[in-house]
Amino acid sequence: MRISLGFGAGLIAVGVMALAFAAVAQDGRVATSGVYSKAQADRGAMLYADTCQRCHGSSMEGLDVAPPLTGPRFLGNYLGQPAAALASRIRTSMPLDMPGSLGQQASADLTAAILAANGYPAGSDALPSSSSQQQTITIDAVK
Amino acid sequence: MSALSRRSVLSLPLFAYLLSKAQFARAQGPAARNTDWTSYAGDTRCLRYAPLDQITAQNFNDLEIAWRFKPDNFGVRPEFNLEATPLVVNGVLYTTVGTRRDVAALDAASGELLWMHRIDEGARADKAPRKLSGHGVSYWSDGKGDDRIIYVTVGYQMIALNAKTGEPIKGFGAGGMVDLKLNDDQEIGPLNDDIGLHSTPLVCKDVVIIGAAHTVGTQPKHHANVKGYARGFDVRTGKRLWIFHTIPQKGEFGYDTWLDGVDQVGNAGVWAQISADPELEMVYLPVELPTGDYDGQYRRGAGLFGESIVAVDLHTGVRKWHYQLVHHGLSDFDIPCAPMLVDIPVNGKMVKALAQPTKQSFLYVFDRTNGKPIWPIVEKPVPAGDVPGEWYAPTQPFPSKPPAYDQQGVSEKDLIDWTPELHAEALALAKNYRMGPLFTPPSVWSDTGTWGTLICPNATGGANWPGGAFDPDSHILYIYSKTEADVGGTIPNADKTRSDFDYIYSRGTPPPGTKVTPRGDVKPGQLTVRGLPLLKPPWGRITAIDLSKGEFAWQVAHGETPDEVKNHPALKGLTIPRTGRPGVLAPLVTKSLVICGEAGFATQSGGRRGALLRAYDKATGADRGAVYMPAPQTGSPLTYMQGGQQHIVVAVGGGNYSAELLCYRLPKA
Repeated sequence: MRISLGFGAGLIAVGVMALAFAAVAQDGRVATSGVYSKAQADRGAMLYADTCQRCHGSSMEGLDVAPPLTGPRFLGNYLGQPAAALASRIRTSMPLDMPGSLGQQASADLTAAILAANGYPAGSDALPSSSSQQQTITIDAVK
Repeated sequence: MSALSRRSVLSLPLFAYLLSKAQFARAQGPAARNTDWTSYAGDTRCLRYAPLDQITAQNFNDLEIAWRFKPDNFGVRPEFNLEATPLVVNGVLYTTVGTRRDVAALDAASGELLWMHRIDEGARADKAPRKLSGHGVSYWSDGKGDDRIIYVTVGYQMIALNAKTGEPIKGFGAGGMVDLKLNDDQEIGPLNDDIGLHSTPLVCKDVVIIGAAHTVGTQPKHHANVKGYARGFDVRTGKRLWIFHTIPQKGEFGYDTWLDGVDQVGNAGVWAQISADPELEMVYLPVELPTGDYDGQYRRGAGLFGESIVAVDLHTGVRKWHYQLVHHGLSDFDIPCAPMLVDIPVNGKMVKALAQPTKQSFLYVFDRTNGKPIWPIVEKPVPAGDVPGEWYAPTQPFPSKPPAYDQQGVSEKDLIDWTPELHAEALALAKNYRMGPLFTPPSVWSDTGTWGTLICPNATGGANWPGGAFDPDSHILYIYSKTEADVGGTIPNADKTRSDFDYIYSRGTPPPGTKVTPRGDVKPGQLTVRGLPLLKPPWGRITAIDLSKGEFAWQVAHGETPDEVKNHPALKGLTIPRTGRPGVLAPLVTKSLVICGEAGFATQSGGRRGALLRAYDKATGADRGAVYMPAPQTGSPLTYMQGGQQHIVVAVGGGNYSAELLCYRLPKA
């Protein structure tokens, strides 16, 4: 029997680190700096319970084909992406039975709720609903 | 919609031209060497194996994308999670695609669209429990030119199409369609009742076998849900041949394992892929658990045939043998994938065996002729829980061989320990939950006690619906699994409009409106430590199991270390081994390689965001190559020869990258 959970990464990791930092939008903000308000996340959580919970689970853990919206598998999909990528995905494709029914404000509130559930801190201002402004906010990693 | 109208089927005007062109193109290559992939996992034995060897360790990194197919416009919005493994027959690739679950036929060499089939089921699909494109289609031929593609719609209707044209087969059901909500030995409403299917039908000889799936059962609306019976149909006419009651009716075998009868329960569907042995003429049904993934208050007793493998006669559906893998399941282990029909040497004699991968990371191995375990399976005592009204099985079956291929249960030694500080934080988080071995059941949330039970594997495995791969030459079975904690937590249910259960799953979160006493930075249900997973890696792995011995041949982490781990300040200066990635994957095995795509995006060389399609040495697990994919694997790969070239097709997508089929092959010299 051979069990090899061997060492990978190495030099590649150094390059990746540099690229990850380079991915943050110039002159933009990162999610760990507090890019949504608590009131907005609370609104988003209520909307989540009504609209999203039945597929994504009571605490965004993901069920069956609906991917987790928290933890490593969430980061596996959105790390380094602009907040607009997540908000746009919600707005254009969710929920499954009524895609396109969530507008800019609702998708921004849901994005705030997802960031909150992932441990990103709240800030003083709400996440903007404008896609162009969301483009300047990068989802970085909670550390 | 009750009938398939000509208007609802879109046949592309140029299909005849395209088809003839494709046939001409196929005629150019060395047709004798062309190979097919005729069923979801290769054939009805579900081994995900092809004896092809053009793509090898020496040339894997030279693979290039020969064609790609983007099904964004099949449905009113794009799909991001294409789970299908397409079929390839006579040079044509068939698959379900898109959020409407259309059927597409592509030229297997060029990816050109030959025909597509579409049915708009309206509210019937909107209200269905299992949406999106599903796992693909099935194929049948009488060998005389009657070739059919068969699939199940989002709205639970079975449709048979002419494989050459995409037109419905008029003699099949009503105008090409069988309404699966009818003739099911129970009353099922056409719109709101909870039944559907996302796996492919299984075709064996002249029988189509169909299972059933329901809404994910974490918080079921009704404990008396629709029952998920399995049925066999005549592939020529669509006429029902048999039904197997996965929840026995009064007087049938197994009924007495339900202490309260069966009126107040449902589910026990067969949503996983089914397998069949055409020589033995036996069908192997992998049954899920009855209603309530974590809550069994209305189904006291062992509850046959919940979480059982049931072998039934291909032509009659009569039970031949069964084996219950979990008694009265409370962890949503289901049986998620096809039983693998493997022929293996046992004590010097070849045995027709069945190997069943599971979410709980045991591989259960039986003689498939009679259901007897190849290696002893022992009933062992397991812990009981504290949910009022719940029934706990005193024992569960534990295979003595092979060893579990992934972590089972959670204890302090399983928590991350890269640094003393991280381990201390992980311990501080974990102490808010109960911990214990496999089958430690969910527990009731308490503000003064624990918030539930830490469970691993969780409801998505271990292994999950894609299943495994098996090399019939070496008798090695390859299985991907993930290591990921979750919470089995239950609360009193105060909202009977949402569910009629008295106690209901909550995943470690308190009853709505409950004041939670702060416990430092730790929040109920949050299982990360400074953004890092609670459990030690590998978080994704491939295990090679030698079924001639019941032992591991090798095990490797599968998937590159996530960027956020590589770059984590708390890990600065440490050498982090490849951690693997958690996902839902299956490998492919060929004459020369084990091949599997990664789960999750990572920054690749050159700064591109994407994932890798990896190749491993079959005997050792050593890396043998990796090529770039723009997104992670979502549907398991298949391979075939066409025009003298070996092709590998894999479905990818995720996050904000919409679903795509990629076809790889080697460049011509």
